[in-house]
Order: sequence, then C-alpha cells, then structure tokens
Amino acid sequence: MSTTTAEAETKTRPHHTLWGDAFIRLRRNKLAVSGAIIILIIAVAAIIVPWVSPYAYDKQDMSAILEGPSRDHPLGTDILGRDVMTRLIYGARTSLAVGLFTQFIVLIIGIPIGAFAGSLGGRADNLLMRFVDVMYAFPDILLIILLRSILGGSIYMLFLAIGLVAWVGVARLIRGQILSLKQRDFVVAARAAGASNLYRTTRLLIPNALGPIIVSVTFNVPRAIFMEAALSYIGIGVDPTIPSWGTMVRDGFDILFASPYVILFPAVAIAILMLSFTFLGDGLRDALDPRLRK
Amino acid sequence: MNNLLEVRNLTTHFHTQDGVVQAVNDVSFYVDVGETIALVGESGCGKTVSALSILRLIQEPPGKIKSGQILFHGADLLKLSNSEMQKIRGARISMIFQEPLTSLNPVLTIGLQLSEALEFHRNMSSQEARDESIRLLEAVGIPRAERRVKEYPHNFSGGMRQRVMIAMAISCHPNLIVADEPTTAVDVTVQAQLLALIKDISKRLNTSLILITHNLGIVARYAQRVYVMYGGRIVEHGSAKDVFHTPAHPYTIGLLSSVPRLDEPRKIRLSPITGQPPDLIFPEEGCAFRPRCNFIEGQCAQQAHSLVEISPGHFTACSLTQNGKVLWKKT
Repeated sequence: MSTTTAEAETKTRPHHTLWGDAFIRLRRNKLAVSGAIIILIIAVAAIIVPWVSPYAYDKQDMSAILEGPSRDHPLGTDILGRDVMTRLIYGARTSLAVGLFTQFIVLIIGIPIGAFAGSLGGRADNLLMRFVDVMYAFPDILLIILLRSILGGSIYMLFLAIGLVAWVGVARLIRGQILSLKQRDFVVAARAAGASNLYRTTRLLIPNALGPIIVSVTFNVPRAIFMEAALSYIGIGVDPTIPSWGTMVRDGFDILFASPYVILFPAVAIAILMLSFTFLGDGLRDALDPRLRK
Repeated sequence: MNNLLEVRNLTTHFHTQDGVVQAVNDVSFYVDVGETIALVGESGCGKTVSALSILRLIQEPPGKIKSGQILFHGADLLKLSNSEMQKIRGARISMIFQEPLTSLNPVLTIGLQLSEALEFHRNMSSQEARDESIRLLEAVGIPRAERRVKEYPHNFSGGMRQRVMIAMAISCHPNLIVADEPTTAVDVTVQAQLLALIKDISKRLNTSLILITHNLGIVARYAQRVYVMYGGRIVEHGSAKDVFHTPAHPYTIGLLSSVPRLDEPRKIRLSPITGQPPDLIFPEEGCAFRPRCNFIEGQCAQQAHSLVEISPGHFTACSLTQNGKVLWKKT
C-alpha cells in the first residue's frame, strides 16, 4: 500500500476492488511487469512503425543483400535486400493481431458454450461437451489446414481458423469453473432471492470465473502466435507479401549457414514475445488468486 | 385458518451412491402470520433440508421432494412452475443463510446486489433502488451506508455481512423469512445483536420467521413455538414454554440436560446424549431414537410413533406418553 493513499484516507483503511487488489499484487511481480512492458513496447513499435521507419517493409535494395548489422540496417538485410528490423516490427503487427484477435474469437465462442453447458447441466451439458470432445480430439494442424482451404487465405480467415480450433480449451475451462461455482453459497443465496438462471449465469457465474479465463487467454496468446509462425513456416499462414515472424524464419532457414542473422532475429523475437506473455500470464494467475492476498 | 405457511407430510429424499438418504420424512408444521417458530435438532436431523424444501432449493438430482404439500397462503408451492417460484423466492419468502462469508457475490458491490433484487421484485428504477438499498443498510445498523454501498463483500466483516444478508432478506418485505442458523458463523456478542435485529424487523414488518438452530438458548428467547426434529422426523412440538418446562420426548429431555446451566452447581457434569445420530439411509424399524434412549419399552422397536397431543398444543412422538401422561420426570 502506498503512503499517498494512507495519507489521503486518514479515517478509513483504503479499500480496493477485486481487480484493483489484483493489480497491486501484479505490480509487485517483477517478471510479470517486465513482460507487460516488453509487450507494450512491441505493441507501440508495431503501431507507429509506418510513420517512423526509414524503409518500407517490401523495399528491396539489391545492392545490399544479406548484410550483417550495420548503422544503416541495425539488424541487417535479408536475401532481397530488405531491412530486417523494419520487417521484424511489421511482423510484430501480424503476430500481435493473430494473438489478440484469435483470443477474441475464442472467447466469443468459448464463453457462451462453456457457460451454458455448465449452468444448464443435464442433457444440454452432455451434448455441448461431447461436441467439444470431438473438436478436441481432432488434430489442430489438420483442422486448420482444412479450414484454410475452405475459408480462403486472407489474414482474417487465419484468425478465424485458429480461433475455431482453440475455443474448446476455454469452453472446458469455464464449464469446470461454473460447475464448481454453482455449488457455492452465494449462488444458492441468489437463487433463494429469486434470481433467474440467466441472471445467475451472467452476473454471478461468469464474472467469478473471469480470473482463470484471463489467465488462460494470456497463456493462449503466445500459443496462437506460435501457431501463426508455424503455419507461415509451412506456407499456409499469412500471405507471403505480409511480413510475419514465421515467414521470416522460413526465409532465414534456407540460408541458415550463409547468413545466420536472418533467422536469428525473428526467432529471438518470437521467443521474447512468447516469454513475455507467459511471464505476464504467470503473474496474473498469482495476482488473481485471492488466497495470496497479503 | 390463518396459517401463512403450512407444510404437510413433507418427505425429501436424496439419491446417493450409497443408497437413498431419507433426510426428511413425513414432516408437518405451520407458521402463523407474524409468528416465530423454531426447528431444533442436532446436525443432520433434517432442519436445513426442510427449510430448503420450502423454497424448492433442493439440488435435484440427487435430492427429490417425494411427497407432501407446502401451502403458502393456501397455494401449493410444489405445484408452481419454476418462473412462478422465482417470483416467490426473495419477494414473498426469503432466506438468511448460515455462512455470511460466502453468501454474497464477491464480484459485485453490496449496493448493486441489493438494488438488483429490488429492481427485479419491486420494479424500482435504478435510482430508487440505490436509495432504498442505502436506507436498508441503515436499517440493519451499518454505519456510513451511503459509502458502504459502493464496497465489496470482502470489505465487510462477518457480522456486517450477515447484516447485509438480513437487509437483503427484508428488502422486498417478504411474508416469511427462513433463517437457517443465522448466527452460527459469528461470535456470541454479534449473535445477540443480529437476532435482536431480525426479531425487531420481523415484528415491525409483521413477518413470520422460521428459525432453524441447534442453539436452545436462541429458541427459548425468540420462538413462540418449537418443533424438535430427530432423524428426519418431528418428534416433539409445542409452545416454547411447554417444550422447555415439560419436555415429553426423551430426545428433547436429553437435549435440554446436555446444555450447561448457569443456575446449577458448577461441579455437576453435563449429561450428553450417548451414541450417534441415526443413519438416514437405513432407518431403524420403530422409533429412530431407540438406540440412544433411556426409556425404551418393547413397543418402541415395533413402530415409529406418530405425534400425539399430550396437552393442548403439545405433541410428542413417544409411545410412553400415549396415554396422555408423561411417565417420567426430568432426570
């Protein structure tokens, strides 16, 4: 607790909302904070890059191919003489977009299905969960390849394809949460006060399950980013003209021994972003657990 | 008849993997308008299940209300649809739970939780509901209510949270409040304050009260009539005065003599009831209390006894009182 709040509240102890409390705990976790800062820096860089970058991401300079790091090209150039740093930052746009939008789709599909399965119970639960099981049993890559061929090759369809594969985890998670929350006293008390099933689901069950959901989303973002990189690597990810870390790794792979820089930087970038999200997720998991309150 | 609530032959069972738990068996009781009754008995005797059955809050499955009627203003609650039942819960019959610490939604402010019930049951606008919730919190003795409505359950102490629960229970002016061991989770001084508050409010609003407890002190002080439950059945019922002064059923006698008394010499050892509560999956033939009873006779083993009136308004389910006299004195 900071001294300023203690001074402002002379009579009563400052009280925190559930989320405010979690935020205070998150702030104490150095790894999580550095993860969040790195994500923020990457995000800001990705947003402002078109206005500050001296190079266009597709500008080829045949007089300077496969250069090592220099003053003009801090991270060198690739086989077509394009500035690697510029492409890397543009690639961050793809990665972050994939990470965030797929999770958005995952939540839109996963929360209602999991919540209704959990709160309705009985036959509806059984039906929805068997469907989830079938989806879960299907190999992810295979399903994505299938969806890519049906949905077409645009980047939005890539979000959709990854989202359609990844929602099952969240649906299962929220169903489990709701099943255990349903037994809690305050839910029974709300029933005794005349709250409808819909009210209980939307106001009691889902909000109380948000903590684990947020944590799972934070852990799933790097998985989606990695998935995009992997798909781009095998050539069914984003359009090859759009820079993406996965395509950059693939380009670099061909010339791994001739000029290792080309593969080094995108690979390091993927690792750093994934680690940052994982640290942040770890911190969030601890912060959102009220039992760790000090 | 001006019975507000009349429970007739209620039987609630739970189907578990070990067998059918006959939690409540053929239980009947009634509450008059403005009256306070108490359901007393040890843990697992069916008090809470009876209460939850009234509001149809039994988890189904495994629970099931097998038979009986629950007449509220003459209408059978067991025949209502779920949505009709929702309008009764909270608005006409409300409930105060045992655990104030876990009975409030941790993610909503106290004010919102109170207001939402008001908006739903009393069709208030959100502004009216907000003002009313502040007024309610003041009525249950929470200081600085206009500030506290913006706070979350974890900012409240256990006693304060139970006050909030009371505020919620009275918010829609119900005809009946079912208080399921409302003070077990708080300490003794707070307990007295809370009970006085519940009693005071129910008197002011002319609300009937079903007090479920194992604390005989509370019963003696607050309830007009008492139902003693044992093994899922009512074994004795009468005015608080009758039950305390001339207990008729051996179980009631045992209960009363296992309570320490301030007016007895301190050296006297308490006489607890020996043995274990009955297993409700395999109920005993005959009287359920027989294995623990000091007064058994041959007939006890043959049949469960029905309630018999031994003096006006005083019923007992013990065959030793069937000829209208209590055959023993308090030991």
